[in-house]
Amino acid sequence: MENNIEQAPGKNRQTGPVIITVILIFFTIMSLMAPGKKLKEIRLKFGPEETSENQPDERLYSDSAYMALLKERSFLQARTSMAETDSVYMTLNLSDSTANLEISGVTVHSVKISSFRFSGILKRTDDYAISSMLAQPMNITGDLATIKKEPLMVKMAPKDTSEFKPDVIPDTSNYEPVNYILEMDNGIRIYVYQTTDTLKSNNRRRFYFDLRDRLSTAWQYAKSAAVFKVPEYHPFIKIRLPKADAKIIYRALPRKGQVAVYM
Amino acid sequence: MNDNIMDDNSSYMEEGLPEDNRGVAVPEGLRSLFDKLLASPKVRKVIIRTSVITGGLLAFLLLAAFVLYIVPGMQEVVSGHRPKLLSDPELKEDKNYKKQISALSGEVQRLSRKYASYTSGQSYIVINTTDNKFFLYRNKELIRTGLCSSGSYTMLKTEGERKWIFKTPKGKYRIQGKITSPVWRKPDWAFVEEGLPIPSATHPSRYEYGVLGDYALSIGDGYLIHGTLYKRFLGMPVTHGCIRLNDEDLEAIYNTLAVGSKVYIF
Repeated sequence: MENNIEQAPGKNRQTGPVIITVILIFFTIMSLMAPGKKLKEIRLKFGPEETSENQPDERLYSDSAYMALLKERSFLQARTSMAETDSVYMTLNLSDSTANLEISGVTVHSVKISSFRFSGILKRTDDYAISSMLAQPMNITGDLATIKKEPLMVKMAPKDTSEFKPDVIPDTSNYEPVNYILEMDNGIRIYVYQTTDTLKSNNRRRFYFDLRDRLSTAWQYAKSAAVFKVPEYHPFIKIRLPKADAKIIYRALPRKGQVAVYM
Repeated sequence: MNDNIMDDNSSYMEEGLPEDNRGVAVPEGLRSLFDKLLASPKVRKVIIRTSVITGGLLAFLLLAAFVLYIVPGMQEVVSGHRPKLLSDPELKEDKNYKKQISALSGEVQRLSRKYASYTSGQSYIVINTTDNKFFLYRNKELIRTGLCSSGSYTMLKTEGERKWIFKTPKGKYRIQGKITSPVWRKPDWAFVEEGLPIPSATHPSRYEYGVLGDYALSIGDGYLIHGTLYKRFLGMPVTHGCIRLNDEDLEAIYNTLAVGSKVYIF
């Protein structure tokens, strides 16, 4: 009896790590299944239509010349569609490393992307479905940023002339670090980071900004895994831009703005 | 019991040291202090607790790093397979292939032409409201650039329900009218802002002369491109939504843009 009582804490000590390890393995497996699920969804939605009359020639989708033209057409289709509006939109050409702001087909601001990387599933640009998906402009559904979209200052109207104070010169100093994430309606997330800053505090804020996003994603994954559901994977495009340009782009894009990408 | 442990430890320490350093690496006083400390159950408890906490923290950090960094990294490795693109000479001779390529190529050319046609050869102006700069184009070439002032992003609120946001609208606009020697018809907010009572719509105090410069170009909804008395504020966001320019730039823009010319604001 005494022996049993003494062994119990030891067993508990072993059970804890075992449970954690099992949960961790389960979380990892579910997380690793997520990109595959997303790719399947994209293929189902944007893949070539197969009907009894229309049997696509599979060889075409592995032909470099055909796929290059398809990519170009997709980008042009998305840009043409956005040019029909009077709003500001962004085009990312990762092939020549440029990010442009355009309005009705006119490039109003162009910037060289310092560096970029993107999700594994988007690397499958030879995939017909990915090219087709990018043929439609992506709509921004939400964003998370270290700067304000509209730096509104609230001013209470004076009750009479005695209370009136002339406006002071606005503070245009550029001290805030500029990092933001644009969430798209097709699940893609565009991360824009300012290029490496010499200010340590800015680098630290970027780390916390990134950490916040990772924590939020991990939490979403954990919630899905808890109900035995494969979590939703968000393909990403991460770009680094000079700080001033990153700010211009963020402020210029409407909250529900559009983006086209060429890879 | 405690004495035994002390003896064991000291003999272990001495055996572990090289012969020359025995008794030299740890001074005698320090060693006895260590031995005394280790003999104390309180100190042992503290050491064990510290080790457990440090170990727990390390394990937590490792776990966090695994979940936050390693798993997302693994996702990319798993999904990053890129099938190889081929250039099959046999396929290139295929009639259907040639037809498909020709159709696709034709469409790309058509879309490229369409897209290029959006940038007209007519004069237009681009206004950057973040940097407060303008860019004037003629025949697709930049002919003038300089500073301007745009909306201040101030929200003016009264104690009642009224409020105004002073920001410059973004997007594509057209010059809707051109005026020389413009007169400013002060809107309600101009009085509210100064704590003055709002006069009737036709009251003479509504009209102010000489504050908008020599020219004004209307882009609709009451927004103007005009001159300013406050030239020291050019390059800053200080206006109520209009675009202010210095006299020379305003004249050049007035002379370059026609009614209907495009104004791109971002």
